[in-house]
Order: sequence, then structure tokens, then C-alpha cells
Amino acid sequence: MSEVLFYLGAIMIIIGGICDLFGAIGLLRFPNFYVRLHAATVGTIGGAVVPLFGVGFLALGSNFLPHKYAIAGASFVTGIIVLLAAPAGAHALAYAAHKAKLVQWNPKCDHLTEVKKHD
Amino acid sequence: MSLEDTFIIFMKFIIPLYLLAFVIYAIRAFRGPTIPDIILAIDCMSFDIAAFMAILAVYFKSVFLISGAITLALWAYLLDIYIAKYLVSREVGA
Repeated sequence: MSEVLFYLGAIMIIIGGICDLFGAIGLLRFPNFYVRLHAATVGTIGGAVVPLFGVGFLALGSNFLPHKYAIAGASFVTGIIVLLAAPAGAHALAYAAHKAKLVQWNPKCDHLTEVKKHD
Repeated sequence: MSLEDTFIIFMKFIIPLYLLAFVIYAIRAFRGPTIPDIILAIDCMSFDIAAFMAILAVYFKSVFLISGAITLALWAYLLDIYIAKYLVSREVGA
């Protein structure tokens, strides 16, 4: 049973590392800020939440750690914090960039400006 | 082979993956043309350093690295919210 948890956590950490690398390459290569937000979601949710849950499972399944329950519980808490905080922060940043008109872009339609116009 | 030896071999594949991602995020944070790009890159870097600190806590068998990971995740969220607040109210930035 403990080996199953250990290898499940190891696979989740490898998936997290690959998602992290792909998110980083996307953040470097994509053209403007609103497209880069998409790659940042891959880098935070896939690259931080998944390996944090993986570390929790790996610590629960391991037999060589002295404080394995403390490490597993704190990893799950950190994963839930990142899962809640990263989308809220990215959303606030996108709203602020649109409001301050910092980013040069050519949208087909801009729903936020249309909604503001009707108010 | 015990689980500890498996984990030591496993770390040899994991460490370059995360370090390469940190370097690419840092390039975007230095090159970023606007302020939201820099803040987004620093966010991603902080969350991924938090995840990497949790992995290092298993590697070094220490509980204390995890408390740093929780603080780092909360700090990145605070940075987002404060920068967004000051960009909306036009007190900082251009």
C-alpha cells in the first residue's frame, strides 16, 4: 500500500515538472500579456498544485522520513492555498492591465469595454 | 532497492527540470516589456519555488522548509493583489 502511494506521488511530481517546463516556455514565447496568462495557468496549477499534492502522497507512502505526517499535511495545505490564490491573483492582474490600458493588442471583440459603455 | 534509493535516483531527473523552468521564468521577468508581465513571471517563479521547496523538504528530511513554502505562496498572492490595486487606482505604473 505504501509503495502505491510513493509511486503515485512520484508520477505526480514528474507530471508537475513537465507542466512547469511547458508553462515556462509558453510564458517566454507567447506574444502578449493576455495570451501569456494562459501559459501562466499551466505553470501554476499544473506546475505547483499537482507536485505539492504529489509530495504529500510521496511523504505518506515513504518509510524513511522522520516527520512524514507533518510534511504531508503541510504540503496538502500549501497545495490548497495555491489552488485558491493563483486564479484570483491572475484575474485581478488581468483586470488591472485592462483597466490601466498597459498592453498593446488588437481584439476582435472586447466585452468588458462594451459592458462599461452601457453603464 | 529501497524506497530511499529510488527517491535519490528520482531526484536526479527532477532537479534539472525545475531549475530549467526557473531560469526561463527569470528571463521573462528580466525582459518583460510591461509591469503585469514582470509580476506574472515573479508569481509563477514563487509558486514553483514553493513546490520545489516541498520536494527538497523530503530530500533533506526537514520539516522547516515547508513553512517557507506556505509563506512564499501567500506572499505571491499579496504581490498580485497590491500591484493590481495600485494599477487600477493609477498611483504607480505607467
